Amino acid sequence: MDINALLPTDMNGWAHLGIVGSLSGLAVLTAIGVVAFNSPIRSALSLVLNFFTLAFIYFSLGAELLGITQIVVYTGAIMVLFLFVIMLLNLSADDPSQYKRDAKPVFAGIIGLVVFGLLATAVLAPLKAINQISAPDRNEFNPIGWGSPQAVGKTLFTGYVWPFEMISLLLLVGIVGSILLARRKVTS
Amino acid sequence: MVQKDLIWLVLGFPLLGWLIQSLFGARIAKSMGKPAAGLISVIAVAAAFAVGLLLTVQLAGLPPEARGIVATAFDWISLWNIRIPVELRIDTLSMTMVLIITGIGSLIHLYSMGYMSEEPEYPRFFSYLNLFVAFMLVLVLGNNLPLLFIGWEGVGLCSYLLIGFWYKDFANSKAANKAFIVNRIGDVGLVIGMFLILVLAFDHQALFKGDARWLSYDVLIPALPEMLHNNGGMATAIALCLFVGACGKSAQFPLYLWLPDAMAGPTPVSALIHAATMVTSGVVLLNRMQVVFAASPTASAIVAIIGCFTAVFAAVIAFGQSDIKKVLAYSTVSQLGFMFIACGVGAYWVGMYHVITHAFFKALLFLGSGAVIHAMAHEQDMRHYGNLRKYIPITFITMVIGWIAIAGVPYTSGWFSKEEILHDAFGNELAVIGGVNVGVAIGFIGFFAALLTAIYMTRMMMLTFWSGEERWKLIPATEHGHHHHEEHHAHGSEHAHHEDHGPDTHGFFFSEEVLHAKHEGDHHDNHHHALDANHKPHEVPATMWIPLVVLSVFSLFGGIWLTDKFGLFGHKGKLLEHWLDNPLNHVASHGGTHGGDHGAHVIPYANLVTTLGYSIGLIGMVLGILYYFGRLPKAEGWDFTKWAPWRRAARDQFAYDQVMVDAAVDGGGAVGNFLWRAFDEKGVDGGVNGIAKTLQFFAGIFRKSIDGFARSYALMMLFGVALFVGYLVFVLMSRGSIQ
Amino acid sequence: MVLYLAVSMSMFFIGAAGVVVRRNPVVVFMCIELMLNAVNLTFLTFARYAPSPLIERADSTWMAGQMMVIFVMAVAAAEVAVGLGIIMAIYRVRANVDVDEMSSMSG
Repeated sequence: MDINALLPTDMNGWAHLGIVGSLSGLAVLTAIGVVAFNSPIRSALSLVLNFFTLAFIYFSLGAELLGITQIVVYTGAIMVLFLFVIMLLNLSADDPSQYKRDAKPVFAGIIGLVVFGLLATAVLAPLKAINQISAPDRNEFNPIGWGSPQAVGKTLFTGYVWPFEMISLLLLVGIVGSILLARRKVTS
Repeated sequence: MVQKDLIWLVLGFPLLGWLIQSLFGARIAKSMGKPAAGLISVIAVAAAFAVGLLLTVQLAGLPPEARGIVATAFDWISLWNIRIPVELRIDTLSMTMVLIITGIGSLIHLYSMGYMSEEPEYPRFFSYLNLFVAFMLVLVLGNNLPLLFIGWEGVGLCSYLLIGFWYKDFANSKAANKAFIVNRIGDVGLVIGMFLILVLAFDHQALFKGDARWLSYDVLIPALPEMLHNNGGMATAIALCLFVGACGKSAQFPLYLWLPDAMAGPTPVSALIHAATMVTSGVVLLNRMQVVFAASPTASAIVAIIGCFTAVFAAVIAFGQSDIKKVLAYSTVSQLGFMFIACGVGAYWVGMYHVITHAFFKALLFLGSGAVIHAMAHEQDMRHYGNLRKYIPITFITMVIGWIAIAGVPYTSGWFSKEEILHDAFGNELAVIGGVNVGVAIGFIGFFAALLTAIYMTRMMMLTFWSGEERWKLIPATEHGHHHHEEHHAHGSEHAHHEDHGPDTHGFFFSEEVLHAKHEGDHHDNHHHALDANHKPHEVPATMWIPLVVLSVFSLFGGIWLTDKFGLFGHKGKLLEHWLDNPLNHVASHGGTHGGDHGAHVIPYANLVTTLGYSIGLIGMVLGILYYFGRLPKAEGWDFTKWAPWRRAARDQFAYDQVMVDAAVDGGGAVGNFLWRAFDEKGVDGGVNGIAKTLQFFAGIFRKSIDGFARSYALMMLFGVALFVGYLVFVLMSRGSIQ
Repeated sequence: MVLYLAVSMSMFFIGAAGVVVRRNPVVVFMCIELMLNAVNLTFLTFARYAPSPLIERADSTWMAGQMMVIFVMAVAAAEVAVGLGIIMAIYRVRANVDVDEMSSMSG
């Protein structure tokens, strides 16, 4: 089998396949871990690991800025929030034997598998042919690199400045909302 | 020259009279007195008679082929290939009937002014009478079958209203219901017959040459022979259906049972409706549609056989009746049987002849009996009469004339028509069923019925006017109230059954006590005196005996006039026959229509027939006089056990009525019950409720999906995603692939 | 490219199943984050390998995917902040943190 067919053309060899493959496997495993662990702490830690792995996968794709952002924002901020909440609420492990057995997991599993299968056959199969990177790493527009901060910053603040501003508004709203939610009721 | 638009006046006067009477009659009666209110109706019908007479004279001035004029008003029904306008027909048959209806009608209206003078609801009676005359005129004047049907239904309605005129007595309401419902059964036959004709017309549209009035006589009847030419089955079917309708209206055997009960109405009603006009509608129908009957020997034979059977059956039953009006009712049924014998053997004009003479003498007899009843304080049972000729001479003489007319004394009007019928029965060539010509048999049975007629009519006359003893004087002079009860029971319908001797025996509407109390109050005004030993019968007022005299003149001389025995009018022996010969019915291809061709061929047993014709009536009268002279026989007295078994059975109509009514009521109840339980409850309700239950079931299933749990909503979203993705994949697949 | 897409699809569906299966609202939230990240990976993969020709701007045709990822990350962050605030607020009112118990519908 031609492993080069599985990898992007700027990687070759078993080493690269090994790295990307193991990263992928770890991502899937940790994803399963998020769902499967009974204790919420374990789920959260599993998710942290998942995000880390994802960041490395982004690096392997060439999106360096986004990979760093993933680590900083997701694992550094969002997961920390999650852990705070879990610890504050003192959530304990779920006890599955306490719950009514219902058929929802089965249905979810079935539907998920079905859709996965559909997409795999219909969408992924024709896409197997694409293993050529189309986005050039360097061109006259971004001399540094496709995923470099310079390139991303230039595009973000010129072509996409409107969404950027609106996102900042959104973040403001989120801040205000959280503070409101966290406030204790004013009794006077 | 016929002024055809005058015909609308003939119809319009009685209608106008009805309107005025119903809207303002009560007020007029209160302010100007009852006779003024009654005169409105009398004048309305008399005016119609005058106009009808004028039109008849004008019609007579036309040559015979031209005597058929149609006056059209407007289109009632107009579909794409059939048109039914409101149109009246002026021809010999319709004008004859118009003269009878309005002429005898006006006499009866005059009579009612006297007869009903003590009746508190006087205007209502006259409005119903006028309405009846109007509908009957529509029946005979209409130029198409649907109009005839309108009149048919209308007279049925008025018959119901008039029979049940004293509706507060429940037995009268029941009798009225019976009349209407039995009539309706016959009407089913008439409607089916009309639709069969329509089917036939639809298949033969070319014959109408573009004239869309398929059911109008002037268009339909000339085309019928062609349509029925090789279609004997259809002709028989149509004829029998029409005959069923005629049986209902004209009280022939299976459907006669309403007529005796109809005697519960006032006597003028019996005279007008159940003697002279409504019951002859069947004969009029057969005369109009004679082409159909002439095309079907089987149907004609059936008509003749049923007519013959009815004549004898009713005659025998009349022997068992002690109520004077019941005797006359069965006599009417019997005479109607004779008319259908005539129509069955193809002598349609003779049937009309008997209609005319019967109208004269039967109306006379009914009005006379009304006078007797009036004189005897509303007592109708003949066992209380006797020797009345001394007290009510005018009534007596006129009733004697009616009696000899119906019994068949030679050269009275009744004799002419009856003899003509039997003569034509013997000479029958039309009524052939299964290869057998039934004419001779019917002729002999008809003579037997004529003999019976003479005997029972003599019985009636002897018991009433002669018989030596004045039997009412045997009633002890009793308390006012008690005797009211007694006589009231004889007043209503006299069924010799256990049931309705009086009001509401089933307690449907009122309890016995309440009804009795009501009746005491009611009759307090009407009957100022009881029939007891002290009663003195008195003659009737002038408004009542003038009609009697007029009718008796016609009963005596009508036959001589209509047959033109002595050639005074130029149609020796054939005046009515020529008058009623309708150009529409001239069918060249089928014989039998001119079955009444008197003397054109030799009939079997010719000499015997002639002899019997002259003598049978006289023989019957003599027998009756001998048996009933001087006394009321014990075998017909108050003690029913002394009655001969056959006479007791006859009194009960040989249980026919009881069987029929029970079957109808129980059968109808059973059908209704079945339909209720099986169809309505299980079927319809089950269906509707079933839909509701199904919806409930499914709703219950779907309801469970909204349970308030976020996870199930999430699952549903996932499911939606799956569907969406599936659709996308499908689209992708069908388009090839992604590129 | 297929490898990356397989990973992302798996993560997505695992997350979806997790949303339906788990009863703890915080864990449900985490699964939602998982799904969002799967989507980010998909965007980046396509941006690198098969950028959409529909986007007209010549200078940023192949940057669009990364832009999308930035925005998704920002939105996810805001959403987490607010969502966890809601969970805390609910926890103050009711002591239990079971998604099923938060239904007040009957029947």
